[in-house]
Amino acid sequence: MGHGHHIEVKQEQFVFSPKAKRFSMILMVLGLIFAGLGIANLGGHEESHAAKTEVAAHEGAHHGEGHAAAAAHEEHTNVETEAFGPRMEFHPLDKPANTRIWANLMIAGYFFLMISLVALMWYAIQYIANAGWSVGIKRIPEAIMTFIPVPFVVLLIALFMGKNDIYHWAHYEHLGLKPSDAGYDPILVGKSGFLNSTMLFVFPSVLVVIWYVLMRKLRSLSAAEDNATKGDVTFFRKSIRFSAAFAVIFGFTISVIAWLLIMSVDAHWYSTIFGFYNFVTHWVTMITIMAFFVAYIKKEGYLGFVTNEHMHDLGKFMFAFTVFWAYLWLSQYLLIWYAQIPEEMAYYQIRFENYKFNFLLNFAMCFCIPFLGLLMRSAKRNRYVLAIIGSIMILGHYHDVWLMVFPGVFGSGMQFGFLELGTFLLFAGVFTYWVFTALTKRGLVAVNHPYLDESAHHDVGV
Amino acid sequence: MGILDKKLSLRDRNKMLIGVWEDEDQLMAGASEIAHAGVHIHDIYTPYPVHGLDRIIGARRSKLARIAFFCAVTGLTLMTTMIWYMYVHDWPMNIGNKPVRFTPSWAPVMFEGTVLCTAFGMSFFFFWRNRLVHGIKNEILDIRQTDDRMVMAIETTDGMDEKAVLNMMKNHGAVELREFHNGVQTVL
Repeated sequence: MGHGHHIEVKQEQFVFSPKAKRFSMILMVLGLIFAGLGIANLGGHEESHAAKTEVAAHEGAHHGEGHAAAAAHEEHTNVETEAFGPRMEFHPLDKPANTRIWANLMIAGYFFLMISLVALMWYAIQYIANAGWSVGIKRIPEAIMTFIPVPFVVLLIALFMGKNDIYHWAHYEHLGLKPSDAGYDPILVGKSGFLNSTMLFVFPSVLVVIWYVLMRKLRSLSAAEDNATKGDVTFFRKSIRFSAAFAVIFGFTISVIAWLLIMSVDAHWYSTIFGFYNFVTHWVTMITIMAFFVAYIKKEGYLGFVTNEHMHDLGKFMFAFTVFWAYLWLSQYLLIWYAQIPEEMAYYQIRFENYKFNFLLNFAMCFCIPFLGLLMRSAKRNRYVLAIIGSIMILGHYHDVWLMVFPGVFGSGMQFGFLELGTFLLFAGVFTYWVFTALTKRGLVAVNHPYLDESAHHDVGV
Repeated sequence: MGILDKKLSLRDRNKMLIGVWEDEDQLMAGASEIAHAGVHIHDIYTPYPVHGLDRIIGARRSKLARIAFFCAVTGLTLMTTMIWYMYVHDWPMNIGNKPVRFTPSWAPVMFEGTVLCTAFGMSFFFFWRNRLVHGIKNEILDIRQTDDRMVMAIETTDGMDEKAVLNMMKNHGAVELREFHNGVQTVL
């Protein structure tokens, strides 16, 4: 590639500027304020909710040991008289007010855990595919992926505190019904080998440890490469091998994590495409976040050799995976629509009946706006357009995860409110702070990477 | 748009000056100097993409993207009309008791049709524009331009100092210099 003009690439050291610090602090403070507002509203909501409750048996049945079985019994006898036979869903709609807090923490933890994991996947794919163009921005996914433990700890806390209210299978497990009991659910019993409390904690923990170890290994290889001599490809070769190992493990396990943590919110329902759909939701968000970081770092005057050509390629990724997201979103829906199996429809039934606005907003924010907004070449090369469309995409995909969880947990009557926005902003602030700090720990340029020169000369043409 | 413009054929142009290079770095330097001297470079034929060359010779942005967009819109319209006519207007079918007017269920047809039209349209226009379609004659200046040589073609104009241009080519490592006029090549 154009060796005619040589581009000098030197090591740079990123400094976490007070401006960037202030920005992440503002995000966190805004997050806390919004979350506080949300929590303040929570109490009032509980009272009004309790007042509205019609069935007396539900009152106070906040999963106290004795009441719960009675509540289950009541619910079961209620629904059996319905025209469609026994309802497949067992939804104890009365939740303690703080369930919403745990559900929010669980969503935020899951979302940012997936973002960090997908950054690691991106990093691995660049090695496996022998990609040259992305070497200049390699440090950004490398910094994002260090975030893995933080959201995971939050996720574990949220699950520990709220699992019985978030997952109705956990609540059911808690009841310990026998086949002769009213409310006995053979489907949940059949799935209990996978959907049980031990699995919920042990399986993700084991996987996160494996992923984390591979992440540290890849990062230490990258550090070793920095300290090696120019032209030494041992660490590059080793990185390819570990990347391939990670990609195989991640490819199989990420679906299972999505089933266990998110799909099991509607435990009777299943969709084989769900894991992949979750992956793509986070993948496109991670690329957008990466584009934001690259744009910011460039604006601060670092990485002079990373040009608009690299931004254009990131924009293309955002655009392409937006379309891919819509493809999976529609595929999951259409197959269920055609098959006409009632228990498969439960998922869409509740979302389209009770959350029609959110359902359509989700499609608009994750597909319509980014698709039309990023279609033009000039849009992908414009930082301001990328910033506006990218912000809509990030919020839209967070809202997408919210829509996967909340209707399943709470039935109807929830909205993406202050608490949700606050949790997101709080996490976004911590995330930005963490990533900027991680960026300062290494030189910003992978000076000994064999493809650095190719990245510096990257050109997508006129 | 001049897609079938006869002017695209090298045969119908003024006399062309042709330089053949073996090395892309020398070619880039040469092209850059010639372009800076104010000479319009007609085209450079290389066996593989040489990054940065398009900017040096002042190539305009490809129209392929716009053609792709129009093909996509055509395909989308065509397929929407087709499925509406067949499935709603002319012969509604009851498949699993599903409503025929449910547009999301048309999406696969609309999507595939759009992709098909775009892919075929782009390929067709690309080959047509590059004179690679059957029935359009194309001059190949040097058969090795698809192998290991890079060929620069400059169309002479009335006031052009041909000697100076040829000298610039030679100074930048052109291994062969030729003239092309009315379909005949002369080695200089």
